[in-house]
Amino acid sequence: MKKYNIVVNGNTYEVEVEEMGGAVSAAPVAKAAPAPKAAPAPKAAPVAAPAAGEQAVTAPMPGTVLDVKVNVGDTVSNGDVLLILEAMKMENEIMAPADGKIVSINAANGASVNSGDVLIVIG
Amino acid sequence: MSINKLENLRKKKEKILAGGGEKRIEKQHKSGKLTARERINMLFDEGTFVELDAFVIHRCTNFGMENIEAPAEGVVTGYGQVDGRLVFSYAQDFTVIGGSLGEMHANKIVKVLDNALKMGAPVVGLNDSGGARIQEAVDALSGYGKIFFKNTIASGVIPQITAIMGPCAGGAVYSPAITDFVFMVDKTSQMFITGPQVIETVTGEKVTAEALGGAMTHNSISGVAHFMSSNDEQVINDIRKLLDYLPSNNMEEPPTFEVNDDINRMIEELNTIIPDNPNKPYDMHDIISAVVDNGEFMEYQPYFAKNILTLYARINGTTVGIVANQPKVLAGCLDVNASDKAGRFIRTCDAFNIPLLTVVDVPGFLPGTAQEYGGIIRHGAKMLYAYSEATVPKVTLIVRKAYGGAYLAMCSKDLGADLVLAWPNAEIAVMGPMGAANIIFRKDINGADDPVKMREQKIESYKDEFATPYKAAERGFVDDIIEPSTTRQRLVDAFNMLSSKREDRPSKKHGNIPL
Repeated sequence: MKKYNIVVNGNTYEVEVEEMGGAVSAAPVAKAAPAPKAAPAPKAAPVAAPAAGEQAVTAPMPGTVLDVKVNVGDTVSNGDVLLILEAMKMENEIMAPADGKIVSINAANGASVNSGDVLIVIG
Repeated sequence: MSINKLENLRKKKEKILAGGGEKRIEKQHKSGKLTARERINMLFDEGTFVELDAFVIHRCTNFGMENIEAPAEGVVTGYGQVDGRLVFSYAQDFTVIGGSLGEMHANKIVKVLDNALKMGAPVVGLNDSGGARIQEAVDALSGYGKIFFKNTIASGVIPQITAIMGPCAGGAVYSPAITDFVFMVDKTSQMFITGPQVIETVTGEKVTAEALGGAMTHNSISGVAHFMSSNDEQVINDIRKLLDYLPSNNMEEPPTFEVNDDINRMIEELNTIIPDNPNKPYDMHDIISAVVDNGEFMEYQPYFAKNILTLYARINGTTVGIVANQPKVLAGCLDVNASDKAGRFIRTCDAFNIPLLTVVDVPGFLPGTAQEYGGIIRHGAKMLYAYSEATVPKVTLIVRKAYGGAYLAMCSKDLGADLVLAWPNAEIAVMGPMGAANIIFRKDINGADDPVKMREQKIESYKDEFATPYKAAERGFVDDIIEPSTTRQRLVDAFNMLSSKREDRPSKKHGNIPL
């Protein structure tokens, strides 16, 4: 048991503190090392929501961008292949959802992307 | 009988046939819709429609309703023939107080359902209604409840088809949802529980009725509807086409049609249809249209969960329900929506004695937090359950990948497939060669002088050994490995052999499918 005098706003309080058994304050248990993170693969940069009239093409599932087939400024039609996304051991063709021009490309070859990540914006 | 009485009858009928009157009919036509009677006449073979309950009137006296006449009570009901077979139908008449549903209106629909159930005939509902007739208060609600109950009782006994051909909001949506097939007409039909105005008041979200509950929304995003048609005429034709694939009730077989497509037709292009590189996609529709009679099929939910195909087709003149992975979309993975879509389709087929063909090219279940949080375990289980529960003939054709849990889910031998056929390039294993080699041969690879080369060697040896259909055939999980070109004749033979199949399940109140 330890006794302390504690002064709060000029009033003195006598406080008794009991130390409980066990080595609670003993050598801190080594914390589990944070799981080693995989080397961060190049990630699609976060993109601002597409402006009105623009349409974002998002990754339908997690995977790796294998081949971007278009360049910024290209004109594409609905159904054109924009890029190949390798996922689930399949080279998936990601197609244009509408006619338009490529406004921006947010995925480089080799980038790993998660589902929902914006890959390309069509305007 | 006096001439007067006959005249009187004729006059009364004439008035009923005129529905909501010329002005409202004109308005209906202007909005791109046909009237209830025009739709009904189109649905049935010419001159076969017999109307029931035309003289029914409402009993409401609240809020001035006692002065409002509603010819046929806003819904045309009766029976007739579709391609010579008995079908019951009701069509809501939007020109009569907005097709609103009150007590007597609902009673007419319930009577049609009762009759269809007694006679074992399909029922087709053509919905076009502003919703509950508010003046009738709780009587209108009771009307909806009676219809839901009757739909549920009839479920699995007679095919129930609903076409949404106008607004369908609030309580009205649940009758269609309980039925087996929901059709929607593009641009002129909407379904929602709460409309755009309510949503804006409550959550501030602005959304158009079309974006919220239009035909494409429910066909592609929500999966509420199964078919989409471009106009009234097309939806009626599509319903007639679907009816030709279905038996009249759960005790009958689907209708058989004369076959003018050679049942022994060899299909050489199937030998080369699968790309050499197993990572290349192709369109599964091509395999199916090559194999079925005349390349004809009717696709169920073609815009929803496109990574799995569900369709009705005929093989040797009779209906087969086909479930197939689509490598072109999401690598053909199984996910939450694909499992729901296939699970419901399989159960519909089983309920109506439609044999199942499962075409497998599946890399696995789709990984990711979205899927796990979305309950892929619970949803995937529906598919396993539906296949295991089904007692109709089940034929499985493995054309390429069949890995892990997804192999089992796609009607494997162990889920009760009666006959499993595989093409020689099939890969049936627990997991893909790369992943498997890394685990099994970890020590060999790490201990090797050249781990990269060793890894490649091991992958190759795993491929030769396990990424084939032969291991599965050695255990009897695959009944035969066939040349792709012979697929049609082998399927014709398989379903022919299975046509006398009898398989019983222990009697129970009902199973407990994970919902």
